[in-house]
Amino acid sequence: MATTADSRTLPAPISPFRRWIISGKWTKAVVFLILAFFSFAMFYPFIWLLFSSFKTGADIVSLPVSLLPKKWTLGAYLMVMDPTRANLPIAYVNSIIVTTGTVISVLITSSMGGFIFARLEFPGRDYLFYFVLSTTMVPFLTLLIPLYIVMRELNLLNSLWGVWVPSIFSSFGVFLCRQFVYGIPRELYDAAKIDGSGDFGIYRNIILPLTKPILSALAIFVFLGAFNAYLWPLVILNEEKKLTLPLIIARMANRFGGTDYQAVMAGSVLVSIPPLIVFLIFQKNFVRGIALTGLKG
Amino acid sequence: MTTLQDHPATGGQALQQLPTARRDSVWRRFRRASPFALIYSAAILVFYTIIFIIPFGTGIWLAFQNWDFITNPKFVGLRNFTKAFTDQYFWQALEKTVLFSVVEISLGLTIALLFALALSQVIGKWQNFYLSVYYLPVITPLVVSIYLWRWLYRPTGGAFNTLLSSVGLPEQPFLASPQQALWAITLVVIWAHLGTGIVLFLAGINDVPESLFEAARLDGAGFWQSFFRITLPLIRPVLVYQMVVSVIGTVQMFEAFFLIPGPGFSTRTLALYTYELGFRALNLGYGAAVSLIIFIMLLGATVFQLRRWRIEWEH
Repeated sequence: MATTADSRTLPAPISPFRRWIISGKWTKAVVFLILAFFSFAMFYPFIWLLFSSFKTGADIVSLPVSLLPKKWTLGAYLMVMDPTRANLPIAYVNSIIVTTGTVISVLITSSMGGFIFARLEFPGRDYLFYFVLSTTMVPFLTLLIPLYIVMRELNLLNSLWGVWVPSIFSSFGVFLCRQFVYGIPRELYDAAKIDGSGDFGIYRNIILPLTKPILSALAIFVFLGAFNAYLWPLVILNEEKKLTLPLIIARMANRFGGTDYQAVMAGSVLVSIPPLIVFLIFQKNFVRGIALTGLKG
Repeated sequence: MTTLQDHPATGGQALQQLPTARRDSVWRRFRRASPFALIYSAAILVFYTIIFIIPFGTGIWLAFQNWDFITNPKFVGLRNFTKAFTDQYFWQALEKTVLFSVVEISLGLTIALLFALALSQVIGKWQNFYLSVYYLPVITPLVVSIYLWRWLYRPTGGAFNTLLSSVGLPEQPFLASPQQALWAITLVVIWAHLGTGIVLFLAGINDVPESLFEAARLDGAGFWQSFFRITLPLIRPVLVYQMVVSVIGTVQMFEAFFLIPGPGFSTRTLALYTYELGFRALNLGYGAAVSLIIFIMLLGATVFQLRRWRIEWEH
């Protein structure tokens, strides 16, 4: 690559800096290398995570440190996956329950809300919508203490219900779907209405299938948000058997101090797998979704 | 819409008819509305009453009380707010929050913009590949990232110090030092959030019509010139959006400071302070007051940013 670029630059002795910028190949190669270097730098912590999780307990804290395990072992994985020795398997179930519940409820309530606020007529509709939207102005941190008190009154402390309830509706999701439904031709709705469909029927048979692109983008964000959530579950849950995955990782790390780091590493790898799978499956929607959600906001 | 047009009262007739006619029309509009919409509206109203109105009201009420969960709440007027202004821990936390937020956002957004710019020069599947790598920290649970970095930051035997000493640089205390801890944590958060900015900015840059760059090139504009004159103004909405969202996000950042405790109060931000007041010190009234102050500050910051942006836009 370098030689071709050189032979191109030689015959034209105008400002070499200008040449370097105009001739695409040089810049592209340099940019490519810089990006490659930084992607390695970004990935560097993960390499440590992965290799350390295959080390033995003595190996992981031995000096001088080496990246590669002296002896490869699955011991840490077997330990954290054993329900009698670690609570990670239970936390896995808890996390999946809460995350699935949140994703399903948000997708249903958002698509319904998007359709209702965009197409159906009833008194106070726009006021209600602006109210729902305005709730996002108050940061969660401000609601943390009083919301905890409300959950205590509702007897939802230390239960997965308490983690789920505040995220049944998402004002962001409703807003996003409303924008999307505005893009669906009104004639479709009118035609179905004339054919005698009820509003719920129209929602189920026409709107829901058509909003799939925005819903799949929304699903990813809701999944990540619910799966990785830390503060709210921390406040609500305290019994060891009810904790979600991020909480159990923190507990493991704090309990073992510095002595059992390979278990934390193995647990971390296992916890990172579900988001990774979701990411790899929905990668296309992901990038488009961020663009969609970000630019419309 | 149809209900309004159908109704005789809206045609601009006798004024005395209006009060009764309007009540009639609201009632009729309710009856005409589909039960589906009404049930949904009722549900969403109940939900936000429980999850938003009651807690927000309770929070405001609580900010004027002294309460520790056990004894009866006692009204103390504005004392919680005046206390915040003389509380050195509050100011300390505010200082850490502002430092963290400003550095995280300015550095994070600049790096993300540069990366997006570089990525826009790479076309096709490599662009996707790099994007995925940069996005990986975003999808990794933050708790995992935090413990991983904590492990890498260890003063003795940590990967970073091993790296430093292998190239002949002095080893650093990182999290053990009150001066470095905050910046060490800031770096973790920048790393963890960089991907979001890159993807957003790249989408913005890719949306700029190629013909504009073409024209600029014909007029003799260099790469940076066309970046500052074309790309930057056109992706400004994305930039402002990301800035507003980042301010709200960084001020509320909790996990990083909770799970990586720096020495003393060197990394205690407002988010952590609120949590500790509410759930450790059980000083609920004061905690609620501090969290209300955070709300007002964030609201002010958001309005300020949006207004400044609009003024710039008009020019």
